[in-house]
Amino acid sequence: MAKREAPEINAGSMADIAFLLLIFFLVTTTMDKDTAYMRKIPKKVEVLDPEPVQKKNIYKISINSKQNIQARDSIIKPEDIEQLNSRIKHFYLINRGKSVDRNVDYPYYAVVSKTIIDGNIAKAYTQLDNYERLAEKETKYEKYMEQAENEIAEWNRKKKMLDIYTRASGKSDMPEIAFQAHVRLESFLDTDYSAYVAVQSEIEKAVTELRDEEAKTLFGITYTAMRQYYQTNMLERTPKVQEYKEKMDLIELLFPLRIIEVKPKR
Amino acid sequence: MSKFKKKDGKAAPGINTSSLPDIVFMLLFFFMVATTTKEIDPMVQVRPAKGIGMTDLTPFKQRSEVDFVYLGAPLKGDSDKFEKGIAVQYDGILHKDGIRHIRQWKQEKFATKPAEFTAPREEVMTCFKADEQVPMGILFEAREILEEINFNTIGYAASEKGTNQTYSIRQQ
Repeated sequence: MAKREAPEINAGSMADIAFLLLIFFLVTTTMDKDTAYMRKIPKKVEVLDPEPVQKKNIYKISINSKQNIQARDSIIKPEDIEQLNSRIKHFYLINRGKSVDRNVDYPYYAVVSKTIIDGNIAKAYTQLDNYERLAEKETKYEKYMEQAENEIAEWNRKKKMLDIYTRASGKSDMPEIAFQAHVRLESFLDTDYSAYVAVQSEIEKAVTELRDEEAKTLFGITYTAMRQYYQTNMLERTPKVQEYKEKMDLIELLFPLRIIEVKPKR
Repeated sequence: MSKFKKKDGKAAPGINTSSLPDIVFMLLFFFMVATTTKEIDPMVQVRPAKGIGMTDLTPFKQRSEVDFVYLGAPLKGDSDKFEKGIAVQYDGILHKDGIRHIRQWKQEKFATKPAEFTAPREEVMTCFKADEQVPMGILFEAREILEEINFNTIGYAASEKGTNQTYSIRQQ
C-alpha cells in the first residue's frame, strides 16, 4: 500500500478571521491619548503674619467673558495669544543673574551660596531654641516652633540642590527667583474653557522652554525628556529614577511654575 | 496571420492569497499596540480645547490615579434640563445634581480603588474633559468642592495643537 499524504488544511478563511478581529479592535479602541495640564489646588494653610506680595512679583493675566486677554497693562486679542510666550519669558529672565541695574517692575533674583544657606540654618536653629524656651510659658509659640522647623528643612533641601547645581555648572552661586514671583490667572464666570486652556498652554510652554534650555546646558538632557521618563517609571525605585527626580527638582527650583488661579467673582 | 494569438477559452490565473492572513495579522497587531481602549461612550458633546505641552496621562491611567469628568451639552435629550445647558457625566451617568455630585462621586471612587494602587488622596487626579464652550464658573465650583475634600490634583484636558494650527478660541 502506498503511503497516504496528510490532507492539507484549508487556510482560505484565515484572512476572514483576522479581518474580523482587526475590525473589532478598530471599533473598540481609540487612537488619541489623554493629555491634560496638571495643576495643584493649594491646601488651606494658616500662615502666621503673611508678607504682602509685592506688585513686581505678580504677572497678572485676566481673561474676560469675551475671551479678550489682559496681561499686566496690555490688551491681547485672542488671535495674538502667542505673544504671551515671550512676555512670560521676559518676566522670568529680565533680572536673572543681576544684582545691580535691575528693572524695578519685575521680580528680583537672589544669589544662593553655601555661606548664605549655612548662615540661615544657624539663624533658624537659634530661633527654634528661643521659641522652645518661650513655649514652656505660652502655648502659642508651638506654632512658631513648627514654622522654624519647616524653615530648617527647606534650607537643607536647598543646600542639596545647590550641591547638584555646583557639580553640573561649576558655579558656586545659584540664581533664585523671588519666592513670591508667580503668574496670577483671573477669569470670569463665563469665560470659555478653550480660552482658559489656551492661556494655560502658553504659560506651560514658556516655562517648559526655559526649563528645557537650562536642563540642556546643565545636564545635557531636556527637562521634558526627564519628566517623561520619571512619570512612566516613578513606581520603580531605580537609581536613574532618583537621579532624574533630583535633577528635575533643581530645574523646578530655578524656574518655578507658580500659577495662582483666582476664583472668578462675576 | 497576426503574431499575437488570442488565448481563447483560458481563464486568468488565480492570485495567490496565502500571505493575506499574514498581512492582516500584522495590521491587527499594529492596531492592538498603537491604540488604547475606550473607557466609556461619551454622553455629552466634547470638542476638545487645544494646547501645547500637556502631560501624557497614560501612566497615570495605568496606575488608576486619574478620574475623568466630562462636561458639555448632552448628546441626547433636552439641554434645558441642566444648569446653563451643561451636563456633567460621571462614568456612565449624567447626574441631575450636576457638578455638585462630584463630592460624593470622588469619595466613592477613592474608596473602591484597587489596593495595589494606593496613591494618597492629594495625588489622585481629577481630570476635566470639558467642551470648548463650557464656562469656567462650573470648573471653579468643582475646584472648591475638591479643595474641601482634599483631592488636590486636577487636570485640564486638552488635545495637541498642531504647529500650524491656531487655538480654538471663540471670537465675539
